[in-house]
Amino acid sequence: MVSVARIMSLSPTILLLRNLKARLLLCGLFFACLSSSGAAQESSNGTFYSNASEVRIVFFATDKKNRPLQNLTKDDFAVVDNEEVIRDFRSLTRSTEMKLDVIVLFDASDSVLPRFQQEIADLLQLLLPWPWNPDDEVSVLSFSGTQTYPLCAGDCAGSLTADRIMAAPRGGSTPLFDALDTAASLLQSRPRPDVWPVIILFSDGDDTISIDSYSQAVEKILTSQTHVYAVDLNRFGPSRGRRTLQELADTSGGRYVETGDDATRISTAILEDLHSARVVTYALRPSNSDFHAVRILPSHDLNLQFRSMHGYYAPPSNTSTEDHP
Amino acid sequence: MKQTAWLIFLLCGLASSPAQIGIYQHGSVVRMHMGDCTVMHQGFLTNFGPPSAPQTVESCPEYTLISDNVVFVIVGRSSNQLIPLAETIDFRFQKNELAVRVDDAKREVKFTIKDMIVRSEWDRLQRHIDEKMKAPEVREAER
Repeated sequence: MVSVARIMSLSPTILLLRNLKARLLLCGLFFACLSSSGAAQESSNGTFYSNASEVRIVFFATDKKNRPLQNLTKDDFAVVDNEEVIRDFRSLTRSTEMKLDVIVLFDASDSVLPRFQQEIADLLQLLLPWPWNPDDEVSVLSFSGTQTYPLCAGDCAGSLTADRIMAAPRGGSTPLFDALDTAASLLQSRPRPDVWPVIILFSDGDDTISIDSYSQAVEKILTSQTHVYAVDLNRFGPSRGRRTLQELADTSGGRYVETGDDATRISTAILEDLHSARVVTYALRPSNSDFHAVRILPSHDLNLQFRSMHGYYAPPSNTSTEDHP
Repeated sequence: MKQTAWLIFLLCGLASSPAQIGIYQHGSVVRMHMGDCTVMHQGFLTNFGPPSAPQTVESCPEYTLISDNVVFVIVGRSSNQLIPLAETIDFRFQKNELAVRVDDAKREVKFTIKDMIVRSEWDRLQRHIDEKMKAPEVREAER
């Protein structure tokens, strides 16, 4: 383990090179694991046609008591995309028809070590019900010091054990934003039209060493259209880290979960949420900017609440995610 | 006597319900964004009075509402003053403001009119904007 003092003494260029090298190595390891597990699947579900001319938004609808809506039609809401009100949707479906590509990001830095055992228990509890669908993929990465470490890829629900987590490097600084960037990049590198990318983050939210900024991490998350579920490991009241986690969850359309909840409640909350999501698609509107701010609002009943990512980056017009296996 | 009272009550009820007497116009919201609320606070004192302490910046919803003949830009009074984004909404003028009927409920929400433009002029502007937006695509296709 490289000490904090040693890392701080390194020049930014060396740190950047080290980080890039580490990410390339990590990507290589990850792809090797995925190909060996045979997890990559051809898209078989034609429901989610997504290309450069179509937008796909995953969102959650709740009633005034914050209960998931069972019945929702296209007439119940409108999407405000870069200020334009959109009502002509191509499709509206439930997320259960999608496969999940989940990366669990696991903070193993100094600041969370006092809660490490509990964190492991929560993580294992979360993985228990997986997979919902045979083609779901769950991977786990830990981050500490200046690095992100793959613990397992694709089939973690069946293979990850507490011993394996304990054997991973821990302690040191908290490269949270770099780890988010790495996870979002991994999810983005294997886009498929009918797969929903999700990051479940266990952390105190207090980044101490990342090369990436918060904004860069958020941009990568929105580009990859990933929802972040943040499990807060802070033991005390409001803090900078807690705000970071809340903003990450809010901006990405995910959810913030307090660590005060027991492990079962954490996993239930996240899994129920993923289960109740909906997916709406519509034609991409021309815009001067690549970034499209998004908001979903009710068409009739103002008591309905909608949660989604705050925006997306339009894909380049000459590419199509259809072509990706 | 009792019957007369009921009759008066009924007539008053009809008179106070604009929907019943058909004074609502119909329109559709085509654009929406959260802008500043300054249009609400631009009184004489704000513009010409003594400088006041900086206020917390609140954003208010701003809607572009198109009707058959006129297009309105209307602004809510607070961040949570939303109107349902249905295909068609009912509205009417009321003392220099626009009262919008929320859902099918009886209540109305009042919005400040920030801007108005004749529908034909707005359509012409939209066509011009669309052409400008599509110009790069057309050039790309021609190559």
